[in-house]
Amino acid sequence: MPLGTLDRNPPPFFKQGTSALTKLIVFSFLSMALMLADQRYNLVQPARWVLSIIIYPVQWMALRPQVVWYDLGDVFEGKQDVLDNLQAAKTQLLAQSVRTSQLEQLELENRHLRELLELRQRVATPALAAEVLYEAGDPYTRKMVLDKGALNGVVQSSPVMDEKGILGQITRVHPLVSEITLVTDREHSIPVLNTRTGARGVAFGESGGAPLLELRYMATNADIEIDDVLTTSGVDGVYPPGIPVAKVVKIERRADSVFARILCESLARVQGAKHVMVLTPVKLSVESPDLERPVPLQPKGGRR
Amino acid sequence: MIMPRGQQLLLPANPTFMLFTLVMALLLDMVQSMAFFGNAPWAPDWIALLLVFWGVHQPLKVGVGISFVMGLLTDVHQTSLLGQHALAFTVQGFLATMIHRRILWFDVPSQALQVLPVFLATHLLELAVRMGAGGLFPGWSMFISPLLQTLLWPLVSFLLLAPQRRAPDPDKNRPL
Repeated sequence: MPLGTLDRNPPPFFKQGTSALTKLIVFSFLSMALMLADQRYNLVQPARWVLSIIIYPVQWMALRPQVVWYDLGDVFEGKQDVLDNLQAAKTQLLAQSVRTSQLEQLELENRHLRELLELRQRVATPALAAEVLYEAGDPYTRKMVLDKGALNGVVQSSPVMDEKGILGQITRVHPLVSEITLVTDREHSIPVLNTRTGARGVAFGESGGAPLLELRYMATNADIEIDDVLTTSGVDGVYPPGIPVAKVVKIERRADSVFARILCESLARVQGAKHVMVLTPVKLSVESPDLERPVPLQPKGGRR
Repeated sequence: MIMPRGQQLLLPANPTFMLFTLVMALLLDMVQSMAFFGNAPWAPDWIALLLVFWGVHQPLKVGVGISFVMGLLTDVHQTSLLGQHALAFTVQGFLATMIHRRILWFDVPSQALQVLPVFLATHLLELAVRMGAGGLFPGWSMFISPLLQTLLWPLVSFLLLAPQRRAPDPDKNRPL
């Protein structure tokens, strides 16, 4: 038997390197420090950038089966399906063309009226089209990963919407990809406006785990009904106003609580969105007006 | 070398092959989460399985350090808290090193039973860390994941030890 064929060489007696226990302690402390830095101080972004570039080739490979699957689906799509899709698109185009022709006139009229009222011109928000790569594998949060990153001009905290409504907000930007926190995530909150009554509120991600939103701090006797549509109110300086967010699906009014428990369903497809738009945060696209800042009173003498 | 009676002598493990399998496990995890199951909490964690496997079979090559690095990569991919998987995999690597002398004396199904607590501990640690950091509870189905990993242990043992089970001197009659 040739030499070196057996795996059973004796372990080294003296040069064993660092003991497993020492390594356990060192690396545990290291990871706890990382978690603390990530959770509390948001310090580890550079590390994430480097690691995300390291795993990008593997991610690229992992996406191939999905891409091939979609391509195959396109190849085997029947002629009838294509014709149907074409017919539907034509019908939609026809329906929209009527509105578009009115739109220019309305826009002109609107501009004149706004000038009359000396209102600030509403700016068109710059947007960037992107595609959802995958839903993030972390079961403790609700996030998605987009195929556009810092190199494509995505900035932190941009709102993201699909064709139905607001999907979420960009919470981490990597060089090549970026992460959206969905409106249904527990840590996400969005200021909304009830389009029927004009009442403002704040919608949070549902904390129980269902992909829903919760409209909190609405009084038990507040005027709210099932199927009310909530849109962004635009008071936060992030989301442009007037974009649909959610629809009220359930209202629980309890005697023992001051607030009603109102559950809403997101209008955007928080599960299975594919093509999305990344909008520029309102604060970046509009110069904030020079408001007179309140000056705190100088305390005279010591505290009483 | 003392080893169980009747066990086949194995060829040395190829470090390139080990690295390849680890990258493949990472890839498999990604394909699972991207294409098939989304963020389903019950999906088996292949990278954890392979880290324990190599930690038991090649404790001098794969141990706590490599587990930590793989944990960091998993964290970035899953967009979870940076250090969550790193901590869990570090502890898992340590547990694998602890049991590696004992476990190889058993046959493969009994080995699977003995690694189940290791996988369970990893998942519980991750759960504890995330609940502490304010995440939402992913549901009881997350405890299916360590069970699936245990069930995959015999398969992985068979497949990954196959290159080491080749004949030491291949000839025309025994090409493999």
